[in-house]
Amino acid sequence: MKTTTSRSIAALLACAVLTACGPQGGDPARQYGADPYLPEPNQYLLPPMSVPRSIGWHSGETPTAFAGLKVEALATGLEHPRFLYTLPNGDILVVESNSPGTEAFRPKDFIAGKVKAQAGAAGKGGHRITLLREGDDGAVKLRTVFIDHLYSPYGVVLVGDTLYVADTDAILAFNYVPGTTQITASGVKLTDLPAGPIDHHWTKSLTANADGSKLYVGVGSNSNITENGMAVEEGRAAIYEVDRSTGDKRIFASGTRNPTGVAFEPETHQLFAVVNERDEIGPDLVPDYLTSVRQGGFYGWPYSYWGNHVDVRVHPQRPDLVAQAIKPDYGLSSHVAPLSLLFSEGQHLSPTFANGAFIGEHGSWDRSPLNGYQVIFVPFVNGQPVGRPVTVVSGFLGKDNETVHGRPVGLALDRSGAMLIADDAGNIVWRVSAAQAAAARP
Amino acid sequence: MLAQSPSLLHRGFIGASGTLLIAAFGTDCFYYTTSLWQWSNFSAWLITFGLIVMLVAVILLLIDFATGRARRLDPVSFLLVAAAGVLSLLNAFVHSRDAWTSVVPQGILLSTVSTLLLVIVGARGWSLATRRVAADRP
Repeated sequence: MKTTTSRSIAALLACAVLTACGPQGGDPARQYGADPYLPEPNQYLLPPMSVPRSIGWHSGETPTAFAGLKVEALATGLEHPRFLYTLPNGDILVVESNSPGTEAFRPKDFIAGKVKAQAGAAGKGGHRITLLREGDDGAVKLRTVFIDHLYSPYGVVLVGDTLYVADTDAILAFNYVPGTTQITASGVKLTDLPAGPIDHHWTKSLTANADGSKLYVGVGSNSNITENGMAVEEGRAAIYEVDRSTGDKRIFASGTRNPTGVAFEPETHQLFAVVNERDEIGPDLVPDYLTSVRQGGFYGWPYSYWGNHVDVRVHPQRPDLVAQAIKPDYGLSSHVAPLSLLFSEGQHLSPTFANGAFIGEHGSWDRSPLNGYQVIFVPFVNGQPVGRPVTVVSGFLGKDNETVHGRPVGLALDRSGAMLIADDAGNIVWRVSAAQAAAARP
Repeated sequence: MLAQSPSLLHRGFIGASGTLLIAAFGTDCFYYTTSLWQWSNFSAWLITFGLIVMLVAVILLLIDFATGRARRLDPVSFLLVAAAGVLSLLNAFVHSRDAWTSVVPQGILLSTVSTLLLVIVGARGWSLATRRVAADRP
């Protein structure tokens, strides 16, 4: 007993020294696709981290885009823009939002708050939606506060003449008349969504199916890995299906830790989601992923990851559920924090991006070196993700890998097919368009 | 009748720190048997405050020597407290992990060892130095 005790303590001291040097993540490319490399999990005294310093953009600085594309700032001075949505008349909705504010429960939460602030993630959210109307030259000619006084809104979808906004605690329905630039009427609640207490992963992603009969809502877990207890995880880490006419909802798929983007693949009308996986068991664990979402499917959280890889931090364990856990379709590599999913629909930016999904990778501080902080494109064939992702827009991270200019979140395509990127650290909406087409304009 | 000598300032704080750290062993045991997260949360806070109070106690120990209240360091109690302090600092990091492995197995092992050391310090009267008696005074 005594030797095991002293050996265990010696091992602890050794890993204290090791974590000070910091375990480094390997090549993210090993974790792309259907069969990502998965190292053994670790338990740390200090989990691997590198906290970038948020420095914003100087005037004239922009992210860098794929060959043949150019990037301009469409709108600046926003309040933590997260989600983007283009209305049929071309008006662009910018959802400005941040966490409803969570209380510190554990000693580590105080430290986490400081980390968040340094990395530029603690910006005050506007809790509103701003409308941008582009002129023919692609510049903004009208900017209004479209809907104000929301409660940590995220997803937006228009079905017919009803605009649905997913606040962190409910889906609200607003009557929308085409061309409207401001809605002052308060929304009518369609259904409640799991929110406080805690509301750790607060974003509620939202989309509608092709016939508009059902809405799909991504609801994140209330912790990293159940450290706030199982009771607060009731109904969380799931994708809901909401009946639009009655507001009835049911869990469509579960075990998705933080499904921050949901969208239908245009060819097959299959629901897809991007999901943020768990932290603190290694710089290369667990890969965030893009997956088709099967009705009734269980994707592992919290008991296991990438199929049946058991997470020992969860107790009591559930081997029965682990046996059912579905392997996701496509790994995006670890700690990239994918926060949006946008299908390209045969679009105009470049032939490279004709068929597939754009994903905004917000980046995180749970890994060294940092990963994500870019917009990628995952090619699709026959409705399935295949091959390697392509970097569409990067340069959000400074060349020193320690400073951050901005962090990409929501994506949308404007009327002309240009891609818009919400940058919640730079408080900017970027517009990415084909350089040639723009040059051809008079 | 001998004049009352001034009491040692650090002693009560060592006792308070020891009590908090020993209580963390108790809450670790409850977490181990129930898997209820709030017990591990209690442990994390008890260890954090135990260490803060220990830091206050060390400052007061220095004041005890500086002001002549303390006469001589008790090396046994001092080393026991120092060891319990180092192990508890390590344990604070272990308890910053999420869920089960914040306690089992390393966390509860560290709080068991700290508790054994601190019980001895308690039995020795929580004092890290001998008190200067009135007769010592010049």
